Amino acid sequence: MSPHAVHEPPPLVELRGIGKRYPGVVANRDVNLAVHPGQIHAVVGENGAGKSTLMRILYGEEQPDEGELLLDGETVRLRSPADAIAAGIGMVHQHFMLAENLTVLENVILGAENTRWGLLDRRSGRRAVREVSERYGLDVDPDATVEHLGVGQRQRVEILKVLYRGARVLIFDEPTAVLVPGEVRALFGSLAGLRAQGLAVVFISHKLDEVLAVSDHITVIRAGASVGSFATADADPRRLSRLIVGGELPAPAARRRGGGGEVVLRLRGLRAEAVADATLEVAQGEILGIAGVQGNGQTELIEAIMGIRAVSGGSLHIAGREATHLGTRGRRRLGLACIPEDRHRQALALPATLWENAMLGSEDLRRRSRWRVDRKAARDATGRLVAGFGIRSPSVDVPAAALSGGNQQKLVVGRELGGRPKVLLAAHPTRGVDVGAQAVIWERLRDARDDGLAVLLVGADLDELLGLSDRVQVMLRGRLSPAVPVGELTVERLGRMMTGAEPEPVDSAAENR
Amino acid sequence: MRAATPRPWWRRPHVVGPVLAVVAVLLAVSMVRTLTGTEALTGSGVVGATLRLAVPIGLAGLSGLWSERAGVANLGIEGMMIIGTVCGAWAGYAYGVWAGVLAGVVGGVLAGLLHAVVTVTFGVDQVVCGVAVNILAVGVARFLCVVAFNGLPGAGATQSPPVRGTIGTISLPVLAGGWGTPDLLGRLEQTHWFLLSDAGGILRGFLHDVSWFTVVAVALVLGSVLVLWHTAFGLRLRAAGEHPAAADSLGVPVQRMRYWAVLVSGGLAGLAGSYLVTVASNVYREGQTGGRGFIGLAAMIFGNWRPAGTVGGALLFGYADALQLRQSTAVHVLILLAAVLLWMAAIVGLRRRPRLSGVMALLGMTAFAVFQTTDAVPTQLVYATPYLATLLVLVTTAQRLRMPAYVGVPYRRGGA
Repeated sequence: MSPHAVHEPPPLVELRGIGKRYPGVVANRDVNLAVHPGQIHAVVGENGAGKSTLMRILYGEEQPDEGELLLDGETVRLRSPADAIAAGIGMVHQHFMLAENLTVLENVILGAENTRWGLLDRRSGRRAVREVSERYGLDVDPDATVEHLGVGQRQRVEILKVLYRGARVLIFDEPTAVLVPGEVRALFGSLAGLRAQGLAVVFISHKLDEVLAVSDHITVIRAGASVGSFATADADPRRLSRLIVGGELPAPAARRRGGGGEVVLRLRGLRAEAVADATLEVAQGEILGIAGVQGNGQTELIEAIMGIRAVSGGSLHIAGREATHLGTRGRRRLGLACIPEDRHRQALALPATLWENAMLGSEDLRRRSRWRVDRKAARDATGRLVAGFGIRSPSVDVPAAALSGGNQQKLVVGRELGGRPKVLLAAHPTRGVDVGAQAVIWERLRDARDDGLAVLLVGADLDELLGLSDRVQVMLRGRLSPAVPVGELTVERLGRMMTGAEPEPVDSAAENR
Repeated sequence: MRAATPRPWWRRPHVVGPVLAVVAVLLAVSMVRTLTGTEALTGSGVVGATLRLAVPIGLAGLSGLWSERAGVANLGIEGMMIIGTVCGAWAGYAYGVWAGVLAGVVGGVLAGLLHAVVTVTFGVDQVVCGVAVNILAVGVARFLCVVAFNGLPGAGATQSPPVRGTIGTISLPVLAGGWGTPDLLGRLEQTHWFLLSDAGGILRGFLHDVSWFTVVAVALVLGSVLVLWHTAFGLRLRAAGEHPAAADSLGVPVQRMRYWAVLVSGGLAGLAGSYLVTVASNVYREGQTGGRGFIGLAAMIFGNWRPAGTVGGALLFGYADALQLRQSTAVHVLILLAAVLLWMAAIVGLRRRPRLSGVMALLGMTAFAVFQTTDAVPTQLVYATPYLATLLVLVTTAQRLRMPAYVGVPYRRGGA
């Protein structure tokens, strides 16, 4: 993997003994990191391990309390992102920093514009952007408005922004968190292109398979400190995960139990926008996985079941009751709960406190008093939830925005499970969360399943789907395949089914469309 | 992917659309004028008055546009205009009319500075601060009025002495009779030909006896387009309103950009105020602004946060106002005009949005029925015409409005 091991050039960027303290928290202590040109250097660690702080220091957004930063062997101080950009360091943000109302070109040249007689020289800017995008194979139309672009294209715009400024070091902050598998492959292709041009890539991730697949060198951060650094070729997954969490990891596939209870969620030929004739059944004590490449109607299916999206045909039964014409509230009362795919947009009121978020839609409140919110009871209930799920938070009175992604997601899962639902819709329940939180969420979903909960799991992470589900249906262009028991599936076969390369298995039970 | 060669500018949708709309409106107006014989509808007199009434509204709208494009909602335009009137009247009395114009701008900039310090530096809610500026301005104006004008001839606690001198006017030579040349458009207007004399009357209204102040205002609109859309400064300023964190991460000084924007906004509002005391009248009177700052904001929204649209909105307000001032009976004809326009819109939209078309045709029918069964419009309704027109337009175009994404959101570094 590392062809330049014989004659290593000096590191392009080096961090030595970096320390950073916030009031009450040590974010980084004694972190060492050396990145060479033509190298993809992965920085891995749990969420909250201090990766983000480290990268903010590298990008000049934060000042280290101790340690030094070397560029080409010389100590530098980066006081702002502008300094970092001038020094050839660029950041590809996880949450894109793009103005949707502006064009790709405007987003790219912003802050580094060419001007002629004081006026913007769009033509030369466009030429420069085209040049960069052709050299690195990043295909984007400079005159498109960003709001019309998909996620993968937006990421390419972010990369263009950095390259346009002549960056030699590119920091990628969890770049795959927002991408679908196909786009991840395209991204990895782009990264290889950058490496081939002699640039240095810092790749932050907590997904081990991706790190092992794409990087040349790995540095592990745990509890704010760098605890290991080695060539990817020398790494093995178990050792790596032990280093990351400082202990053993629970594997996704552990116990499995057949369903066989009463069917509590039944869809018969349900139609909605982008959903054609969805037929499925989920029984008590069973997890039904819905696999599929993103954008094949999964989002719409979940929204149609929740009653957020209009249904144009078919029927929906929850716990044996006809629910097709009920609103969301009526369906929830029948025992439906949902972990939506986008926790920021759909699950949490970020500026509101934890207890307020935990009480959203809760029937507990109503049971006590019809009109008044019993704050003490709400706080206590939230406190139990926080303790039960190991949510790391100073109190239940901080805003939800203050939590890390993993802890926010645990709060959502806890809230939805707390209402003792009969049916749970879980859309990407562990997307963008660290391995620790992922393990907790998996564990809770399994526990609830064993207690008789019916779970409809929509996922993009095939390991998660295969590890949790009892049966899997594949969604392709709005259609659901018949269910396949998970024992008959492999990642490869599922992948073929998701792209339509394998004909659907014949299953007489689901043959009524 | 290499994009095809861009279309020439005169064939791009954002040019073609408005041009077609203007032609359609002209056609409708001309038809209505011919049918009803209401010559005032497109007379150069009314159009000239439209222009005069539209200038302060348009400047106020431009003021809002500068501020909001950078992400700072400015509800204090009305207040900044008030400061502009009082400062303009004082300097106009003491040093002459152009000094008054300048002083109005300075006063507006100072009020803008207050808004900027409070909202940008201290991150106070922009709406709250804007409202506070309006309230504060009324008191400050009264105070300044008493201090500056007490005991002067013709002045009092709520009124200033007259401004010295006036701002001259200009007419375009040959076409509109400037410098003793023939007034071709004027003659065309007198012929009462269908469409041609309407176009002539409207053009003459824009070109005949135009105040130099108006010329400055038009130049400011064009300058704003140039600065905001064709300079690096403008791109950075707009980026501060579209995604301040992104702009910051690229080394754009977001707070400084917002300061510039709010200061320019204040200056334009002050200029709008000084127009009221130098051109629209020659004294400061309390309550003189009469809500024009807010109407300016409505014009800006109407114009989808774009200069050309803002000007269009200001002209619409100005037209309704001018018609009502000069010939209030003509407002009755506006109902017929509305009916015709609605029908035209219904025909245009028939293919793409049949349901909306149906509603518009129905509304047009209602308007026609109202026109047929009544003789005059109550004066209150006459005064409400511009607001009704705006409401109608906002309701029908609200889905396509595209305000800057971060208007009203204070920006703090490192904040989520």
